[in-house]
Amino acid sequence: MSKLGIFDVAVRYGKVPALSDVSFTVEEGERLFISGPNGAGKSSLLKAICGAAPTSHGRIEVDGDVLNGRSPEAIARLGLTMVPEGREIFGTLTVEENLRVGTGIRRDKAAIETDIEGVYESFPILGERRHANAGALSGGQQQMLAIGRGLMTNPKLMLVDEPSLGLAPNIVDQVYETLVNLQDDRGLTLIIVEQSSARAARVGGRMVLLRGGTVVGDGDAAKFAESDLLKEAYFGQDQSEEAT
Amino acid sequence: MNAIPQLLFDALSLGGIYAMAALGIALIFGVMKLVNFAHGEYIAFCVFALIVPSTDAVAVMFLGKAPAILLIPMLLLIGAVVAVASEFFVFRHVRNATPVAMMISSFALGFVIQNTLLLIYSSRPKAVSLWPELNQPVSIIGASIPLLQIIVIFTTLLVVVTLALLLKRTRIGLEMRAAAENFTMARLLGVRANVVITGAFALSGALAAAVALIMVTQTGVADIRMGGQIMLVAFIATVIGGLGSLPGAVAAGFLIGAASVILQGFLPLEARPFRDAFLYTLVIVSLLLRPDGLFAPRSTKPRV
Ligand SMILES: Nc1ncnc2c1ncn2[C@@H]1O[C@H](COP(=O)(O)OP(=O)(O)OP(=O)(O)O)[C@@H](O)[C@H]1O
Ligand SMILES: [Mg+2]
Repeated sequence: MSKLGIFDVAVRYGKVPALSDVSFTVEEGERLFISGPNGAGKSSLLKAICGAAPTSHGRIEVDGDVLNGRSPEAIARLGLTMVPEGREIFGTLTVEENLRVGTGIRRDKAAIETDIEGVYESFPILGERRHANAGALSGGQQQMLAIGRGLMTNPKLMLVDEPSLGLAPNIVDQVYETLVNLQDDRGLTLIIVEQSSARAARVGGRMVLLRGGTVVGDGDAAKFAESDLLKEAYFGQDQSEEAT
Repeated sequence: MNAIPQLLFDALSLGGIYAMAALGIALIFGVMKLVNFAHGEYIAFCVFALIVPSTDAVAVMFLGKAPAILLIPMLLLIGAVVAVASEFFVFRHVRNATPVAMMISSFALGFVIQNTLLLIYSSRPKAVSLWPELNQPVSIIGASIPLLQIIVIFTTLLVVVTLALLLKRTRIGLEMRAAAENFTMARLLGVRANVVITGAFALSGALAAAVALIMVTQTGVADIRMGGQIMLVAFIATVIGGLGSLPGAVAAGFLIGAASVILQGFLPLEARPFRDAFLYTLVIVSLLLRPDGLFAPRSTKPRV
């Protein structure tokens, strides 16, 4: 059984369709990039999976459990966590409080404190600033906090929406290095929205390409980086960070 | 003679009542973006829960007969239950509606509660004598202060400190603060929307009960309209404090209490009947200068 199954899914906002006929599956431990131009529906797809946006059609499954119609808090309990676009950290809470918000669903209460220390080991700057208001962190630090906060739910499947958004290239390197390490350590299944196919190819993994709300390509990220399909998907306007 | 300490105690005790009522409104606005205009009716409901249902002018104590040690927790519980029930039966079903629709449903609920009370107790204000000994004056720094005022000030302090500790130190408090800032994100992290909202209503209802107890002891009447008046002031306090900001609600509650007492004390005699006009002028000026409130939190974007 696949870790995640997306079957013929559609999402619409009022009458505006954002996604239609989207189908693919993700295996346990896989790393999948979702790419495509602005407005392609990448965020909508992640929101549909985590329960933040309702599907108007189709079925989404995690470990064979149907997610449609479940609340976000119920879906989180199935071991799925979301690191959303724009990080959405709680700016009025301290760094450590941010990390603790998601621990309410855990059964293994004893492991929470060690896991918090684990996050501080992965991101030492968060440990140094654990009692600071999260709103005072820099963009890169907030991205790290958003990832750490997601990890504190002890997930099996992690969705990360554009972790590179607004970050300097060396910080992006750091973020991806940590994501890959975390995946290797924990056997996470990782789905990452990344507009830069070059970046995706360098990190390595599979890629699903979206355009206009549908899947227009699915394969190894490395092959996509050079293919015409990608250029076509972007309508010639290259939005990857390397081009700018 | 000792006008200044007297004014100070008046201001602190009146401000304390406003602050507690404002907290009740701000708590719910924080997690739900709902301005709950039924809050005043929770207060009235709690007042009338003290007396035996009847339309007579002099009230016979019902719950009010119980000793304080029983009466206080029971009334707090009644307030909490009424608020939680109203969430369960009314607000839960309009949770995804527009803020205006939610606000209107709170007005509607308020009318239902008020009319129910009207039906059972009639509209005539009733004399209620709850803990009359608390209105006896005691001497403090040369001023003669009713004991109740001192109790009110300490109660407010106790409530504010307890609430702050609850929000800062407990799991549900953490979840409430996270949900108040970004409800969807909190839910994505597994925070149960129903638990947080029910918790906020329970706290808000208990606050309404505390205000009810103080008001009835202080004024000695049970009046169907008493909830509406305090609700108005409390709502203004939450707006001035910055909708959704709990410290702002407390500070603005005290500010309005102080302004009201100072105006009462220093306005020329012939202007005193118009005290509220002066008060609301100050409110308008404050809103013109700081439309987001005097203590607006950085990350709250009020939708109303
Ligand atoms: N809340 C919303 N209400 C209405 N329309 C929306 C909403 N969110 C997204 N859309 C629309 O749905 C489409 C897909 O948006 P989505 O955010 O999923 O794209 P995206 O691929 O993540 O884009 P980006 O690269 O800019 O993040 C767009 O046309 C967008 O305008
Ligand atoms: Mg997006």
